[in-house]
Amino acid sequence: MPIKKELCKNYQRGSCQYGQRCKFLHVTQQQPKSNIFGGGAQSGSYGQQQKSNPYGFGVQNSSQSKGSTDYGSKPNNQFKPFENKWTRFSPIPNTGAPSARQSENQTQATNHKCTDPESCRRIVVEDFENERPLWKLTCYGHLKNAPCDIIGDISYEELRAAAYDDAKRGLSLQSIVERERNLLSSKLVEFENLCKPHAVAPSSTLPNQKPFSGTSSNAFSSFGQLGSSLNMGPPAPLNNGFGQLNSSAPSRQISSAFGTKNMPSENAGFSSNGALRESNPFSPSPSSAQFLRTTNNQSPILSMGLDYTSNANAPAQVAMGVQLATNMQKEDISGDVSIWSKNKWNPGEVPEEAPPDAFVDAV
Amino acid sequence: MSTFGTATPGNPNPNNSIEVAQPPSDSVSSLSFSPKANYLVATSWDNQVRCWEIMRSGNAVGSTPKASISHDHPVLCSAWKDDGTTVFSGGCDKQAKMWPLLSGGQPMTVAMHDAPIKELAWIPEMNLLVTGSWDKTMKYWDTRQPNAVHTQVLPDRCYALTVRYPLMVVGTADRSLVVFNLQNPQTEFKRITSPLKYQTRCVAAFPDQQGFLVGSIEGRVGVHHLDDSQQSKNFTFKCHRDGTEIYSVNSLNFHPVHHTFATAGSDGAFNFWDKDSKQRLKAMSRCSQPIPCSAFNNDGSIFAYSVCYDWSKGAENHNPASAKNYIFLHLPQESEVKGKPRVGTSGRK
Repeated sequence: MPIKKELCKNYQRGSCQYGQRCKFLHVTQQQPKSNIFGGGAQSGSYGQQQKSNPYGFGVQNSSQSKGSTDYGSKPNNQFKPFENKWTRFSPIPNTGAPSARQSENQTQATNHKCTDPESCRRIVVEDFENERPLWKLTCYGHLKNAPCDIIGDISYEELRAAAYDDAKRGLSLQSIVERERNLLSSKLVEFENLCKPHAVAPSSTLPNQKPFSGTSSNAFSSFGQLGSSLNMGPPAPLNNGFGQLNSSAPSRQISSAFGTKNMPSENAGFSSNGALRESNPFSPSPSSAQFLRTTNNQSPILSMGLDYTSNANAPAQVAMGVQLATNMQKEDISGDVSIWSKNKWNPGEVPEEAPPDAFVDAV
Repeated sequence: MSTFGTATPGNPNPNNSIEVAQPPSDSVSSLSFSPKANYLVATSWDNQVRCWEIMRSGNAVGSTPKASISHDHPVLCSAWKDDGTTVFSGGCDKQAKMWPLLSGGQPMTVAMHDAPIKELAWIPEMNLLVTGSWDKTMKYWDTRQPNAVHTQVLPDRCYALTVRYPLMVVGTADRSLVVFNLQNPQTEFKRITSPLKYQTRCVAAFPDQQGFLVGSIEGRVGVHHLDDSQQSKNFTFKCHRDGTEIYSVNSLNFHPVHHTFATAGSDGAFNFWDKDSKQRLKAMSRCSQPIPCSAFNNDGSIFAYSVCYDWSKGAENHNPASAKNYIFLHLPQESEVKGKPRVGTSGRK
């Protein structure tokens, strides 16, 4: 039994090497989960399952496994959504019943995580303190197997290809470095925003409502059915939705909240269109929109990501996950178009001209 | 970003590996060995695809440059045909070329995309070339025809690809992993989100096709089994970290015989691991530059890895004038790559 009432930081992050012996409290946020295994005995076993290995691969935490095997064929860490599934239980005797439970657990894990935004935010903050990789231009998801909280991946090769293209066009190393730095700082701002309390709430609902997460969780339980449904799902509508997505309203909302912060990060990903890259990435929409016009394949696809989240209900989710939706597809939109996405206009705000076409067919 | 290795020059070859002669003049983006003989192909950011013959007698290993072809833009990926006669290469020119180098033939373009081709693979069982691109599609090509046999839309840009018939896994941007059963290639078998939290960097399918490894930029590798009943065997482990610095895992390669695997990272190290006993078999010394790519030869007796800048610290750390690009050959000892039985109890730390 834990002596102190403080929550164990390692356990909350997913795994604690001390397990039962840990002097902090090993409590999972998933209280309902314990029912899967039928009875209160299960909640006690949560601590056993933590086969964390903070020292990395190759350390044999055998004493932990010894204690846990007494519990029989315990499907181990499946029900811990944000756990490092580092376990010694590979030789699980019968994979029949437990596996069904495991997949259920995992389903539940990916389904209803983030019911507590505060704990999710804690995970995020801890991740950023302890597990910040050196490469910053990355997506991020605070739960494994759950969709990203921050999107807009840029790989080494994409950045390099963009730099080589720029250099070919005569840009100096200095301006290339400048552009990369801008990308970096905008991405860092995104990460910082994720740590803030108000920011996490929307993303916490993200996994629940995103249709994509729903399908991915099902994947664990029955891949047979899912394969076909997945195939018919996202790809088809997205293909057809290219034209519509360009002018979808939710993207406009994002633009007001986050400006053009993500423009550069998306720009860099498409090396074939370096021509406009030297314009200040943070310049107003028109120039960036112009850039995006030339990447016909790609810009709609950026909105594709948007489409996933816009299917969910909260507009704020879209703000969180899909900042790339600042892609202003139409060049003629100038000035602050956020007014058109507001639901309620305060006195004095009512615009005098008609909305740009982009907003007319929205919602 | 702190500059890499400015404190001391650092040893580019602390493992005393054999250096390949006449390496590329810019970073190496991919390495692949012929499935039939010890021919090594390297693609590079200097737009060239080069081939060396690797001769080995005992512990003496030599390399002879054999031939090379050019693309118009940096080349990102390469693959050999199963008969060891032809090399496919693709890159930033958005094309893939087929080069029948053993017969001395000229390369011809066999694939096109709308954006750079990041990965490609030859599938002998289907007689098709599959290419994955940043245009978010994957295309299958019969090299005798100009048009793709099939175009598969991916959830995002293709970052990594691995094929072990009938298993194919594609890692895309924003942490999607798409699994295909190549007996039914037009349908996604499964689409999952990566078990890792950050950008996917590389994937490798198990030789027994039961699952795959996924490596990310956060110094972590995920071991994922496809079958639901084996989900309990899934785990992730940390690697390529140095104190608080967390480097990316750039390459995952299974040993063709022992089915252990190697990881290579931006920290300049490569390690050998056994996933079944969950042990690290060998940690090699860190080189002074990152290792962007690596490959085993067909019988696992030679492990080739490249030591050169991988852009992990951006353009400001790229110095073409003074950059050194190496390709090294390591001869793994049996203890390094042979699987070990699970270790017994070793007490708590």
